[in-house]
Amino acid sequence: MTTTTSGPEALLSHLHSADGSATFSYAGYTIIGAVNGPIEAQRRDEIPEEAVVDVVVRPAAGVGGTRERHLEALLQSTLRQIILVTNFPRALIQITLQVTVAPENEYVNTKVVQANTNLPMLPALIQTAVLALMSAAIPLTATLTSVVIAATTEDGSNRDIINPTAREIEKSRSLHVFAFTSHGDLILTQSEGEFTMKEWEDILASAQQQCCPNTSGDVNMGDDAATGADLGTFTRSVMEAKIASDLYWK
Amino acid sequence: MATSKSMTLSSTTFAKLSPHPYLLANLQPADPSTTPTRTNGRQPSQTRTPYINTSSLSHAHGSAVVRNGDTTVICGVRGETILTSAIPNYRAPSPSDDSSSSLDEARDYDLLVPNIELATGCAPNFLPGVPPTTLAQTLSTRVYSLLHSSKLVDVSRLRIYPEEAGKENKEEDDEKMDEAEEIDEYAVAEDKAVKAYWVLYIDVLFISFDGNPFDTAWTAILAALRDTKLPFAYWDADREMVLCKPVFTAKEKQKKGSGSYWILVDPDRLEEGLCDETVTVVVDKLGRSTKILGISKHGGTVVGPELTKKMVATAESRWEQIHAAIE
Repeated sequence: MTTTTSGPEALLSHLHSADGSATFSYAGYTIIGAVNGPIEAQRRDEIPEEAVVDVVVRPAAGVGGTRERHLEALLQSTLRQIILVTNFPRALIQITLQVTVAPENEYVNTKVVQANTNLPMLPALIQTAVLALMSAAIPLTATLTSVVIAATTEDGSNRDIINPTAREIEKSRSLHVFAFTSHGDLILTQSEGEFTMKEWEDILASAQQQCCPNTSGDVNMGDDAATGADLGTFTRSVMEAKIASDLYWK
Repeated sequence: MATSKSMTLSSTTFAKLSPHPYLLANLQPADPSTTPTRTNGRQPSQTRTPYINTSSLSHAHGSAVVRNGDTTVICGVRGETILTSAIPNYRAPSPSDDSSSSLDEARDYDLLVPNIELATGCAPNFLPGVPPTTLAQTLSTRVYSLLHSSKLVDVSRLRIYPEEAGKENKEEDDEKMDEAEEIDEYAVAEDKAVKAYWVLYIDVLFISFDGNPFDTAWTAILAALRDTKLPFAYWDADREMVLCKPVFTAKEKQKKGSGSYWILVDPDRLEEGLCDETVTVVVDKLGRSTKILGISKHGGTVVGPELTKKMVATAESRWEQIHAAIE
């Protein structure tokens, strides 16, 4: 039942006209991100003391709707926290995220325009945005790692699935997205469904273990829930490989 | 309905039927023992007390509301810059002909632009959708000529110089347009050419109108000009444009990492605009135990697991409140 048959993959700085770009594929999603900035902000949008962060999310099919606006708002307020916006007063940092592949649920008819929230896509969007920002050499206070977890009841016992498939999400009782900074702070929480505070705390603990394995003292118990990749280490190794290849001529 | 008793009329009816004799009857009472008063109860030489409130408009450089009885006037002054290169037939002022010359910069380059509007409904005789009435045009002309002939605004303070010259008179930083004549102390600055001017747009709006419009309008203009604070402007030679030093900066903003935070439940629009992090919790308490239907938190790292727990408790008490209100 695991979807994470292949690990995360990323391609950095492959778009030549953007200041920074990244393509990130993981858990069935492929997203192309492009960052332009700092560039001149529109006069009416500019903030005198800090940079404007503009996020544009374009879906795999059709034009963006309310769902994309919601994702953009979440990403905007989250990324604003890690970008050193006060370094670029009156400037604009534009982040464009184009979804190219999204997993489909074969059991239901897919609609092009859907109004409900699309939380499972959020971790991939965050990861792409952070990689593209680093590719554009935008100064950041931290990087982000994010995970989506579905809580299901199977045969009377609760089970948390990391990176669930569309079908698993459909059958789950609740769905949670968490994002942590590289300092281990919880920066984003989105939870839907029906759950209790106790369940939420348990899921948070496993998310923390998944996203920041170094900060939480727990040892991986080897149960099948914790099968996700360590995205923090992944981000670091991708950047290291990119820098090494860029400096190769020396 | 005239009755056989007498032909007395109430004073309001009298005033409506023949206003002029009514006013005269009040001013020249038949009974010499009573003092003559005007129909509004004032003595002939008694004025209405003016009330002045300044800086009430947030987007003007200076503003004033003047109330004189039932005549209320609001005046806003806004400064805009004009480059001397954009002025046709511009002639640079020389330091020598500052006081006595034929050159009147304010009049020649239209640096003061007054406009008077009588708002619809400020008095019964002003109708909507008509071109400016004769009264409004007359008032505009009178105000315009008095502004210039009185030399109310010191033109030397409307000049914008290149940066080095401007730096030498620091007191312009928070400049007060004063009707008092200023001693010309800009001899240093004047060997630099004037690059631009401030143009003051003086807009006067009558909110209600009950006589004596010119006096009230002029009072409002005086008060608004006194209140006017222009940012310090200078000509930037590199960029070839006029730049202003900011009057207000948002430096008061608390810097990150100070560690203190406040949690505001049910924020209003102002608070929402100023806070970064928001948490929304949806709870259902109808069953035996509280069910959480959604938690959404974004925009910051202050709220961790512990605070989220507190938020859920807050949401629960809010549920009780809403439940009681609905039931």
